Amino acid sequence: MQFIESIGKTALNVIRAIGKLVIFICLFFQFILKPKFYLKHNSKYFIEIFISSIPIIALTGIFSGMVLALQSYTGFSRFSAESAIPNIVVLTLTRELGPVLTGLMISARVGSAIAAEIATMRVTEQIDALKTLNTNYFNYLVTPRVLSLTLAMPIFVTIVDFIGVMGGYVVSVYRLGFNENMYLINTIDFLSFSDYLSGVIKATVFGFIISIISCYNGLYSEKGAFGVGSATTNAVVLSSILILVFNYFLTEIFF
Amino acid sequence: MEIKIEKLSKKFGDNHVLKDINLVIEKNKSTIILGKSGCGKSVLLKLIYQLIKNDEGSILYDKKSFVDIDKFGMLFQYGALFDSLTIAENIAFGEINEGKNNYRNKVINSLKEVGLSADIYNKYPSEISGGMKKRVALARAIYKNPKVIFLDEPTTGLDPINSDMINELIIRIIRKKKMTAVTITHDIQSALKTGDNYFFLNNGVVEDSGKCTSMLKSKNKLLDEFLLGVKKLQKS
Repeated sequence: MQFIESIGKTALNVIRAIGKLVIFICLFFQFILKPKFYLKHNSKYFIEIFISSIPIIALTGIFSGMVLALQSYTGFSRFSAESAIPNIVVLTLTRELGPVLTGLMISARVGSAIAAEIATMRVTEQIDALKTLNTNYFNYLVTPRVLSLTLAMPIFVTIVDFIGVMGGYVVSVYRLGFNENMYLINTIDFLSFSDYLSGVIKATVFGFIISIISCYNGLYSEKGAFGVGSATTNAVVLSSILILVFNYFLTEIFF
Repeated sequence: MEIKIEKLSKKFGDNHVLKDINLVIEKNKSTIILGKSGCGKSVLLKLIYQLIKNDEGSILYDKKSFVDIDKFGMLFQYGALFDSLTIAENIAFGEINEGKNNYRNKVINSLKEVGLSADIYNKYPSEISGGMKKRVALARAIYKNPKVIFLDEPTTGLDPINSDMINELIIRIIRKKKMTAVTITHDIQSALKTGDNYFFLNNGVVEDSGKCTSMLKSKNKLLDEFLLGVKKLQKS
């Protein structure tokens, strides 16, 4: 009997959490429609996210491209199709690896920071202080973070795509002995705008997911150090899982 | 500003936090709200501040049911300063968000009012001591010249010297600016020093009230127990 009761309780908690999250997302769109922008604060936040993330995504891009070139060579050389490597590198990066890896890295770097910062603000009554200072905490804390990350992700993924292709180029030309001009021509010829666009759209969706999940976990964290810790963990785990799930459905749409 | 509370009730789920509260916070007087942890003091403060809504009853501010929140100021238990902003940005927070830039002199005056120098103007909260943080939080609370100031455990976490200093500061400021003050505290010495009237809450009900000068002579058993408990705790 207790077992059934605990299943019921868990199910109710999950439904409650989903309901709260849906209301949270609706609130975000409500504030977007009639926004009060804290311009200085918003632009500062966008710059912070941008500068702090560039080194991480650059490293992600270059090593992904390099590994992709090496691994593709291992497979394709077995049936003498090495010439397909530039196409494989650029298509895999723009359509798949670029947005997914960027999403996962940004979730770990920025998502965790957002959740920890907002949860700490909640624990130390800073969110209550915002309310007493006649400031809409949702507009001040959530809107700039969601907007900044959603707008920054397409730029991030473009950088990852470019650096990744360059990584593949370096390995293919200097390690595997490809002709440098042929590599670049094959890369450019086989890449269509729709490939790039599908990656950018995925990245935008992932940016929204990471920021909204992180803000939600931060704002509804439990009190104390444990609350901050679990808010951060939940934000990273949940947004990473959702990135992988949404990636499949978006790929189905763009297939 | 006079605040009149009639038949006020608040529930969170099945938890009846405040039940049928009736009290008057007199204009330009310092009112102390006493009570054990979890008795509903903070909820009462949030209701008066209009941060949450009541289920039943009414709160009248100079006989009006609504007041602009800018007429209130709040000093939080641990200051609640924004870590990512400088001291100046913390104090002039509202004005900065309204896009105003000429706040420097006003901030420096506020710092002087709470006994701090302009040296900390560009520092971050993590770079100053606990006592200074409390004073900065007080400077932020009085920056817009509110009519009512709410003080949530103003001396918590401070040593006796800093506690005394903060109490003196609070008395001086509320008298000089002719503010109404509402203080939540467990610190009986501070209550006796800074308060005019008191209300003692127990399980969401006002158990006792009166002038602070007669608090120690009260015949209310629950208040007596509470005062004794606090005294024992302070001794230990």
